Amino acid sequence: MRENIKLSRRGFIKATGAVCSAVLMSGAIPGLLKPVMAAEEQIDIKDALKKLFGDKKIETGHVDLDVPIIAENGAVVPVTITSDLPMAADNYVKNIYVFSEGNLNPFVAKIGLTSVNAKAEIATRIKMRKTSNVRAVVETSKGNLYQNMKEVKVTVGGCGG
Amino acid sequence: MAEIGKIMIKVPGAIKKGDVIPVKAMVVHPMETGQRKDAKTGNLIPEHYINDVKVYYGSDLVTSMEWGIAVSTNPFITFYLKADKAAPLKIMFKDNKGGAFEQTVQVNPQ
Amino acid sequence: MKKMLVLLLLATPLILSCTSSTASRKEAKEEKGVQEYVMAVDVKQFEKDYAKVHGNELKKMEEDGNPGEFILEDGKDMFHKVDGSAGKSCASCHGENGAKLKGIAVNYPKYDDNLKGVLTLPMQINMCREKNMGVAKEKSWKYGKAEITAVELYVKSLSNGMPINVKTDGPASKFYEAGKKNFYGKLGEWNWNCAQCHVKYAGRYSRQEFLPPAPLLADHWPSFRLDWGKEAGMHTRTIQDRFKGCIKNMRVSDDKIPDFETEYMRNLELYVTAQANQRPQHVPGFRR
Repeated sequence: MRENIKLSRRGFIKATGAVCSAVLMSGAIPGLLKPVMAAEEQIDIKDALKKLFGDKKIETGHVDLDVPIIAENGAVVPVTITSDLPMAADNYVKNIYVFSEGNLNPFVAKIGLTSVNAKAEIATRIKMRKTSNVRAVVETSKGNLYQNMKEVKVTVGGCGG
Repeated sequence: MAEIGKIMIKVPGAIKKGDVIPVKAMVVHPMETGQRKDAKTGNLIPEHYINDVKVYYGSDLVTSMEWGIAVSTNPFITFYLKADKAAPLKIMFKDNKGGAFEQTVQVNPQ
Repeated sequence: MKKMLVLLLLATPLILSCTSSTASRKEAKEEKGVQEYVMAVDVKQFEKDYAKVHGNELKKMEEDGNPGEFILEDGKDMFHKVDGSAGKSCASCHGENGAKLKGIAVNYPKYDDNLKGVLTLPMQINMCREKNMGVAKEKSWKYGKAEITAVELYVKSLSNGMPINVKTDGPASKFYEAGKKNFYGKLGEWNWNCAQCHVKYAGRYSRQEFLPPAPLLADHWPSFRLDWGKEAGMHTRTIQDRFKGCIKNMRVSDDKIPDFETEYMRNLELYVTAQANQRPQHVPGFRR
């Protein structure tokens, strides 16, 4: 009896498998098999940084990055970036860059400051495609670069409050 | 109703001259990525996002931003400002489809 | 043939036990009404546990900038806008900036004698517009649409910080009990009910979802939700919209999800809101 059921189950899998592979080979549904974002390529964070800063060295430090460990929702991830670098008239944080490394295009935003801002801190909310690093790069008016990065876990689904 | 381009800017109520104040701004905008499909038609929804933000304090351009598609829908931004003069604070948003939106609040340090 | 017989033999006790258990369940229902679950988690404990995992991300975002505030502003505008044949606005009777409406919204939904049922705040607003402002009935704001949600939000915001105080006794008790029945009524493909997540297993995980206990469900509507926030406009919606979402998540097919303002929805709103009694109301909420 049991043997019978086992056999028939195996037979079923074989049959469906055959149908599946037939469909696959015939290419009857090519649209379904293509990745959704086929048109756009993932830009690597290294390339994105190189495009913006060339081969300039990016040092670690002077950048504080406040992000959630697990995002409540990947479409709205709060990011706060603070730097302890001076904001004087002749030496200030000129640009703060935000990157989300898992996005097709990691570039999120560039915030250009002046000494009138007086405090090198910004906060915004960003979209994250998947679990990845959020990276902040700070560029001073003298051309020095500093960075920090933190991983944010992005989960999908659930029902929410 | 809360249509695209509606802006809300918050600055603290009582400001002393020379205070460094937080400025919080929100704007209603879909920030379409161009990667999302219309649930009904199955077509990609074209990109529609704010890519340029400028902040004027009086006549000075104090902060300017470039945004990509990955800034969240209904964007939110906080930055700081040294309130050393009584002047209007104007924030201008421009999107990739030519939409331009702006709002002004008065900064009045005592 | 032999196979069939064996199968039948195997299945018989199963069928028997099924029929007997439904029969006994029916009896229990008739005798005791709804069998309530024991609340699994203390509200304060839940909030602590939640913060351990997610920090104060949502709270911070709510304080910094809640897109629901745009809808609130819309509501304020509409409240002061003249409409209907009487040439009045809401403010004509209820005062500039709703001065006379402070503390009113926390009593809704409530039993209404004319309706012989539960009256929700949006229904009250529409009734008021029709009777006192002379707005034609066919121009009544449809539940779930931007206008009524905005005005509901504004009127509720006038009572922010005040404890929710929904009456469940007297004539309301019948509808409260009916709402409870809905809250405990099994739905959908998985045979779930509301109470399972929000009472019996509250404070535990359903997949990655940290299930909030019943008292935390109703003190913040209409709310901005991140999930709805993917669209620029209708990101701030009402409690009945949320009910629909929940019921859908329970795998009830679209055509069987109860409509807005049906008896089912209104009784459920009364019951769920009453669970938040004594908690301070704060709208617009900010949820994930």
